[in-house]
Amino acid sequence: MITIAVVDDDRMLLEGLRSWMLDVPEVRLAAAAATVDELLGQDTADAGGAGAARAAADGAGTADGEGERERDAFDVVLLDLVLRDGSQPPENIRRLRAAGSRVLIISTVADRGRIVAAIAAGADGYLTKDHDLDTLVTALQDVAAGRSAHSPELAFALAHDQRPDRPRLSPKELQVLLDYASGLTLKSTARRAGITPNTAKYYLDRVKDKYQQAGRPAYTKIDLALRVREDGLDAS
Amino acid sequence: MKLGSGLQRAQAFLIVATALYRASHLMVGLVAVVQHHRHRPVSWAVLAVAVACSVLVYGTARARGWFNGRTVWADVLVTGCALPFAAYLWGGAHEAPAIAWVMVLGGSSSAPAAVVLDRAQAVLAVALVAVTHALGYSLVGAAMAVTAGHLNSVVSSAVLGWVFWWYLRRQGTLLDTANEKAKEAEAQRARYAERIVHHRALHDTVLATLTAIAGGGVDANSEQVRSRCAREAAYLRRLIQQSADAEAYPEAGAALEEAVRAAECLGLSVSAQYGEVPSVPPEVAAEVAAAVTEALNNVLRHAGTGRAYLTATGRDGRLVVTVVDRGKGFDPELVTGGLGLRSSVHQRMRGIGGAAAVESVPGEGARVELSWPA
Repeated sequence: MITIAVVDDDRMLLEGLRSWMLDVPEVRLAAAAATVDELLGQDTADAGGAGAARAAADGAGTADGEGERERDAFDVVLLDLVLRDGSQPPENIRRLRAAGSRVLIISTVADRGRIVAAIAAGADGYLTKDHDLDTLVTALQDVAAGRSAHSPELAFALAHDQRPDRPRLSPKELQVLLDYASGLTLKSTARRAGITPNTAKYYLDRVKDKYQQAGRPAYTKIDLALRVREDGLDAS
Repeated sequence: MKLGSGLQRAQAFLIVATALYRASHLMVGLVAVVQHHRHRPVSWAVLAVAVACSVLVYGTARARGWFNGRTVWADVLVTGCALPFAAYLWGGAHEAPAIAWVMVLGGSSSAPAAVVLDRAQAVLAVALVAVTHALGYSLVGAAMAVTAGHLNSVVSSAVLGWVFWWYLRRQGTLLDTANEKAKEAEAQRARYAERIVHHRALHDTVLATLTAIAGGGVDANSEQVRSRCAREAAYLRRLIQQSADAEAYPEAGAALEEAVRAAECLGLSVSAQYGEVPSVPPEVAAEVAAAVTEALNNVLRHAGTGRAYLTATGRDGRLVVTVVDRGKGFDPELVTGGLGLRSSVHQRMRGIGGAAAVESVPGEGARVELSWPA
């Protein structure tokens, strides 16, 4: 059983997701919020609204009083890339990771620059909202198990990252990335590159890892301390 | 031959003009040597060195599109300053008429110097030529009028060269600026036209659907309405992404978008992703889009799947478009079952100087890659 939360300011999507997840025994939607502040319980100004959203999400029948304990227990947070409160995706992702959750980004529009920044900030996957339930559940399971959730949109954004300081990719990594971005299945991508599907997946994971490492340089003691906290390596 | 920008044209003209000037002086030299110094090897050698310097200066200028400062200096020092003394010392040119052709030749080194070198260097080079020539003429005891006339031609060819260059360069730059503005205006018009097309499409699709649902006359949960909404959502998504990502080159993007929408109207959902697409001529955009339409139709008819993936990107200045499906696939060796796809797509792309590659494995979908230029 995977415990997830969703942060999205589209009420219709929250409702839809809740009814979707009722049919999926492997996944429990434990909280829903419009902002990261709200999810992490720091939104004092709008505590009532937050509680209401949470209650709505918990409609599946969770007993009252469990909310507090659950705060730290989200395996994966589904995070909408662009929130109306003006918060920046990388900052949202870092805060959720620091709180101990993995992050799967969902968005309506594939905006390449933002996708790349989100992966660099520590998100483990990216999906557009038009994917079907099976794809979403598979992605949630992948991310919860510590793997990455790949999609053609994510591969496309990474393959066509034009920034001069982008991480260097090997020719093989780039080929796998481009082919997967073009819509080929992992199997076909692997066959074209003359490798096994597992190796192809490994290449995709490695590209993501390169971006995450590049996104978190540890130069100073303070940075190192932050990284320890982000990685959950300290006592808490 | 390509004409290039206005500035490049001005440069090419000036290279030809100064080269002709030098060529006329070489001709004078040749005639003088043949008529009066035929039996003096040193005179022939002087002429040969002058020809070599000219080839060096104008040959490199022609090959690279503009003069090289060092070769111009070499010409000033060798043809302009050294050769008159060589002719005097070893060529036996001891009176004014005998040395005149070498002086004239040297004088023509002042024109490119005035054009190419910066102001201080140009003044220095022209002064150097003038002083050595004055010295040379005084050695052979030339009349004052001959010396003055020659120095006048040295300086005035430099001044004329500089004035021509100044004028042509200004005209060339003005022309380039005007062209740039015209191009920008054209792009603006194209963007505007594209926007109008989108507005019309929005009116016919999204707005019509929303109005129908809001009116309450249709069941919003019916399969038909939902698939229509999904297609129109995909269209809106691409519209937003395109305006966020696509740069100023709308030709390929607009043509491809039309092909995608045509396929969507037939019930195919297309995930389209556009990268930085290079600018291509309109006829190329149209043919690539036609090839994409054929590839998408092929997915509809034969792949047994409702979804196709399209990407359009630029790689090393080439336009690369892929159409991918995850359907039934086929054996590319067996060109049957309506798979005229390969030949017709190949033909289209070859017709515009592009290339097409069709790949498939039974059970693993198909991949069509179109690239231009090939």
